Amino acid sequence: MRLRTYGYCLENGLLSLFKNRLMAFASIGTISACLFVIGLFYTVVVNVQYTLDELENNIGIAVFFKQGISTEEINVLKQKIVGREEVESLTYISPDEAWEMAKKDLFEGKEDLLVGIKDGDNPLKDSASFQIYIKDINMQKQLTRYIESLDGVRHVRQAEEVAEVVQGFNSFIQYICIILIIVLILISVFLISNTIRIAVESRKKEIGIMKYIGATDGFVRGPFIVEGLLIGIIGCVLPLLIIYYSYDLVIERIYADFAILENLILFMNVGQVIQKLIPLCLIIGVGIGFIGSSMTLHKHLKV
Amino acid sequence: MIALENITKTYSNQVTALNQVSFKINKGEFVFIVGNSGSGKTTLIKLLMKEIEPSQGNLYIDSKNITKLKRRHIPKLRRNLGVVFQDFRLLDKMSVYDNIAFALKVTESSSRKIRRTVPMVLSMVGLADKARMYPKQLSGGEQQRVALARALVNNPPILLADEPTGNLDPSTSWDIMKLIQDINLRGTTAVVVTHDKEIVNTMKKRVITLNNGCIVKDMDRGDYGDET
Repeated sequence: MRLRTYGYCLENGLLSLFKNRLMAFASIGTISACLFVIGLFYTVVVNVQYTLDELENNIGIAVFFKQGISTEEINVLKQKIVGREEVESLTYISPDEAWEMAKKDLFEGKEDLLVGIKDGDNPLKDSASFQIYIKDINMQKQLTRYIESLDGVRHVRQAEEVAEVVQGFNSFIQYICIILIIVLILISVFLISNTIRIAVESRKKEIGIMKYIGATDGFVRGPFIVEGLLIGIIGCVLPLLIIYYSYDLVIERIYADFAILENLILFMNVGQVIQKLIPLCLIIGVGIGFIGSSMTLHKHLKV
Repeated sequence: MIALENITKTYSNQVTALNQVSFKINKGEFVFIVGNSGSGKTTLIKLLMKEIEPSQGNLYIDSKNITKLKRRHIPKLRRNLGVVFQDFRLLDKMSVYDNIAFALKVTESSSRKIRRTVPMVLSMVGLADKARMYPKQLSGGEQQRVALARALVNNPPILLADEPTGNLDPSTSWDIMKLIQDINLRGTTAVVVTHDKEIVNTMKKRVITLNNGCIVKDMDRGDYGDET
């Protein structure tokens, strides 16, 4: 096709969209609704994932050793655990370090409570531990099981429950999200194909004439494909705008109403979210527009 | 230019519209195709445009077997055929000029070519002063001229006319027929399907007479015949 033909298709697609505005409006509305739901769920999923990632960086496993374990045995254990693929990093925390940290965490500003404990006397002298960070929160369980089976390990402390709750929440949202999106996409495709069918119907005579003058399939179909694509693109602008402008407001609202979440859930900033949403919505919008219109054209426009 | 070899067309309702029809039309010829309604004239036009497929036989246009033509090559075939119909088939929402320019846009001509060609074709059919009018403002004869101009604007070697004077009064019919004859004299092969006895008998061109899907007569300088 030549460049001017693309111009022709664009011009006629726009015209047809305008002439057909009632149906077009309905289709744009559904696509907007569809993409809004997609955007909304995506935003939630992305944020939960973000929180999880942050959690993973903070949730580690603490491994405590049996009493009287030797430095060599600790080193052997270290080698074994570091060799596991789940392990991101491993830090040895000596009894002294543990005591220093405990003093800081528990007794800061109340050092007078510690007067009974002499300097060389470490109450945590058997509490040396490995602080292990894992690569993926899903691997926590298997790693824990492995470490527990090792000789010399007294206790493994993990943050499994938090991880499981967050993880479960996330996959629940993902399932609902997928089902909703599929339903809405189907409705959008159906509405667009109907809109295009009406457009084709109203230009039947013109199309007939085009065909016997020698118009190619592409030339006849072009304007309708453009119309479908335009519906898809316009349909994706609205939800993006809504999400962009309401994102910060909603977060503020959540923090205000559920102060408890402030430390639990971390929100990405709006720029990061929109950056991911724009291509996603565009691809889905354009895809729906294209599939919807070509479906109709294959059925109703046999040249 | 056009050759039919034992063309048979049976529609899905078992009606045989054409039965073992063979003929040849040479380049630059002027041929009338006559016959009663239901004799297969319209089927013939549709076959030539590859709107429908023959059930049997071969059809050559410009020595290409169009029965074997792939779908995506049909537009190219149709650009070699200018077609006019009894009901003109103009687009009412477009001016005369735009109706003709539309045919050039469809074939992806440059806007320079459109600006140059349309007035030329319009003056050829004698409508240079009506370019800005709309089909509904024109008489039947004028509308058929616009249709002719549209058919010719892409310079097709063959002109197919399916009852071009069917909706026109006798004197306008003559104008249109003379115009087609002029076009033919410039080298375009003309195939005219018609009912108009007077025109056929007066013009003394080759006449192919169809009856019940068979050729019953094919005469140079022929007439409409009385047996039909």
